[in-house]
Amino acid sequence: MRTKEENLIKYKDGNLYCELADIWIDPSKPVKRALITHAHFDHFTFGCEEYLSTKETAILIKKRVGDNVNIKPFDYGEEFKVNGINISFHPSGHILGSSQIRFIFAGEKWLITGDYKLQKDETCKKYEIVKTDYLISECTFGLPIFKWDKTKNIAIDISNWITNSPDKTSLLFCYSLGKAQRLLNEISKTNFEGNIYTHGSIHKMNDCYRQLGICIKDTIKIENKKKIDQLKGNLILLPPSLSKGSYLKNFKNIQTAFASGWMSIRALRNRSGYDKGFAISDHADWDGILEVVKKSEAKNVFFHHGDSEALSKYLSEKESINVLFFEK
Amino acid sequence: MSLNKFSELFVDLDSSKSTNNKIEVLKKYFLSNRPIDNSWTIYLLTGKSNKRFVSGRYLRDLFSEVYDYPQWLIDTCYLKVGDSAEVITLLLKNKNASQTKKIHKISLNELLSKILPELSKLNEEEKKLRIKKAWETLPAENHLTFNKILTGTFRVGVSVGLITKSIAKLINIDEEVISHRLMGDFKPSINAYEFLVNRNINLEELNSKPFPFLLANTFEDKIFKDSINDFQFEWKYDGIRIQVIKRSGNLSLWTRGQELVNKSFPELVEKMSNINDDFVLDGELLVWNFKDQVAMDFSFMQKRINRKSPTKSIQKKYPIIFIAYDLLELNGIDKREIKLENRRIELEKYFSKWQNKTENNISDIFKICDLIYPKDWADALSYKKKSRENNTEGLIIKKKSSIYTSGRKKGIWWKYKVDPMQLDAVLIYAKGGSGRRAGLYTDYSFALWKDKELIKFASAYSGLTNIEIKELDKWIRNNTIDKFGPVRSLKPEMVFEISFEKIQISKRHKSGIAVRFPRITKWRKDKKINDADSLDNAYKLMREIS
Repeated sequence: MRTKEENLIKYKDGNLYCELADIWIDPSKPVKRALITHAHFDHFTFGCEEYLSTKETAILIKKRVGDNVNIKPFDYGEEFKVNGINISFHPSGHILGSSQIRFIFAGEKWLITGDYKLQKDETCKKYEIVKTDYLISECTFGLPIFKWDKTKNIAIDISNWITNSPDKTSLLFCYSLGKAQRLLNEISKTNFEGNIYTHGSIHKMNDCYRQLGICIKDTIKIENKKKIDQLKGNLILLPPSLSKGSYLKNFKNIQTAFASGWMSIRALRNRSGYDKGFAISDHADWDGILEVVKKSEAKNVFFHHGDSEALSKYLSEKESINVLFFEK
Repeated sequence: MSLNKFSELFVDLDSSKSTNNKIEVLKKYFLSNRPIDNSWTIYLLTGKSNKRFVSGRYLRDLFSEVYDYPQWLIDTCYLKVGDSAEVITLLLKNKNASQTKKIHKISLNELLSKILPELSKLNEEEKKLRIKKAWETLPAENHLTFNKILTGTFRVGVSVGLITKSIAKLINIDEEVISHRLMGDFKPSINAYEFLVNRNINLEELNSKPFPFLLANTFEDKIFKDSINDFQFEWKYDGIRIQVIKRSGNLSLWTRGQELVNKSFPELVEKMSNINDDFVLDGELLVWNFKDQVAMDFSFMQKRINRKSPTKSIQKKYPIIFIAYDLLELNGIDKREIKLENRRIELEKYFSKWQNKTENNISDIFKICDLIYPKDWADALSYKKKSRENNTEGLIIKKKSSIYTSGRKKGIWWKYKVDPMQLDAVLIYAKGGSGRRAGLYTDYSFALWKDKELIKFASAYSGLTNIEIKELDKWIRNNTIDKFGPVRSLKPEMVFEISFEKIQISKRHKSGIAVRFPRITKWRKDKKINDADSLDNAYKLMREIS
């Protein structure tokens, strides 16, 4: 049995783990039972005996890695029991299907945010405020220099970037799951009238989103290299893995950009090797994290996935929040 | 024109890696703005003498005070961003999100010719209020440019060369002319801009300006194929490159960094003013050991450069000499189109005339460089090796048939530098970089063995590829023993080959030695820390060369 001093969720081998339920959260190596917060590959690993996730995440994972995985799908908010612990998924606003995970045991609530954002994104469910006693929050962008602009404005910037260089083919690099669909959704609301081409990996995810009832603008799958001359003035969405290496040699007269929260810092932008950076993120910015901490009404907060030193100190000193650290 | 245009220019230049794009952007900008604002733009972008109105530290402290923001939090952000002006801009985004004050637009000219100069005259409290007010009333798009101008840190990857090219294209005139017009001081004004973009070339216009310097390229093996007789050989001195210009009787000393340094070297100005002819000479300024007739170390020169009006005793303690190696103009006639070998003949001829005819003896402060005559390329190599003995950096090889052009043109001058000294050392500390290296650990300290202890002997930050920097950064984060502020002390495990140019005794350092231009030349993954060199090996190196 768990002693009172022991935390329900702890850090083990670099992963979040609930011993009482013998269940791991987004484990980085194969385990018996894994809760998956969302379908990005840095949160999913092959070889677990059983996965539990939201319905959307289950479908996205199968689309990406094939049907040969044992995933149990759940609705948002649906409670299920593992070893007497109540567990449920709640929208986190990161990408389609992404979730926070709540544990309730002996009247004590624990909430793992997973990756999340509060900003508007029509391609997935909005972040749900969930009250908790213990909060485990990600803090990828846990510094006050991170303050996201309105998504609408970034989309206008992107549209202007393309139309101001009518002789060039504009290559915008972004993650193929989530970011790409969000960008397509936002760009479709701007004045941009050119064609949008997408790489196969993005095309596949677009289809999947549509199947799940999300409206995504039609794009042309880019496969035939002969079309290249017709591409000027148009936009091509590509995954970042193609930005280095020979793939770019297929194009002539290009300008490149990367869509990521890190692009808000000039040094990182310059170092990235892209011509331009658009600071748009599917993670919470500083204010977003503070808001979640506050609204969750958590008495105790843990941080992971990021440099939490400054954030922890700020919350302890300025907001008198009890910030705890995992024993590693 | 509002400051907005300039801010847009900054964003546009920053959003492209292509030189041609940048030139187009600049051309368009110059065409659509007022001469006075263009003038300030050139002043800022060439970064010649940008004034720092307040320091980065000051700006960070001010933000902390004005918005009651923890200083440590701003400092943590600074480590990530690497530029105070940018950190404050990003933090302002948070503060001004609900901006209620009326937006006030200003022009670049207004900012630089009125608002900022006035700032320096105010007392502390008023100064702070002014900056705060600017933050609150300037449009958000202008915050970065404002903060950067304020802290004098305007660098946008625009070189003087790029400005030169843009203006040359703009008015369809030879780049060399623009390059010459941009030499020396640039005092922003309508006239300064109009002079720059004037399509008519007036020969006297450039009277007060030095010629664009011809720079040497790194030596390439392929010149071994050419006959040794096609080249002129000189020692490569390690001093300050200057042009000594005497026109209409006025003498000026211009450094390659385009600074006028007459005040720092009054004895040279005085003596060379006595020469009867007008001239432009290119050469090296050195602190000289007259007893042994060799150059003194560059560290002695540093004692002179930073002193405006040096006393007689300083002049005596660090006696200087100007060693001329080229004659670019004589009595108003431009000699740059003449072949080097003929320029040399004239240089020698006039030098001996000046030596004999000038009233005061000039030879104790001015001479022309000796030439070296290697028999063949193998012999040239042996000369290069000798250069440590006379405190030079190696050889300069010049094509005899070449004319004097500007910049680092290929195939005219080569620097043939003596091989660096090298030691294998252990990485023991790392510190975060700034500017474009922000957020990465890129400043490293290295140690050598003394008995069983590792003693720090040099710091270096250049020499690794971007991929290596990232790899090492990751290793550093995982192998930190301790943190002191921005510095991490590391598990001694990684060995690097460190190259440097000079080694000398230093009382200031624990190791007892100081090296010049240390840099990383190889990541010795094949070596264990016990294979690294000892301090004794460093002392041995020092003895070998002295």
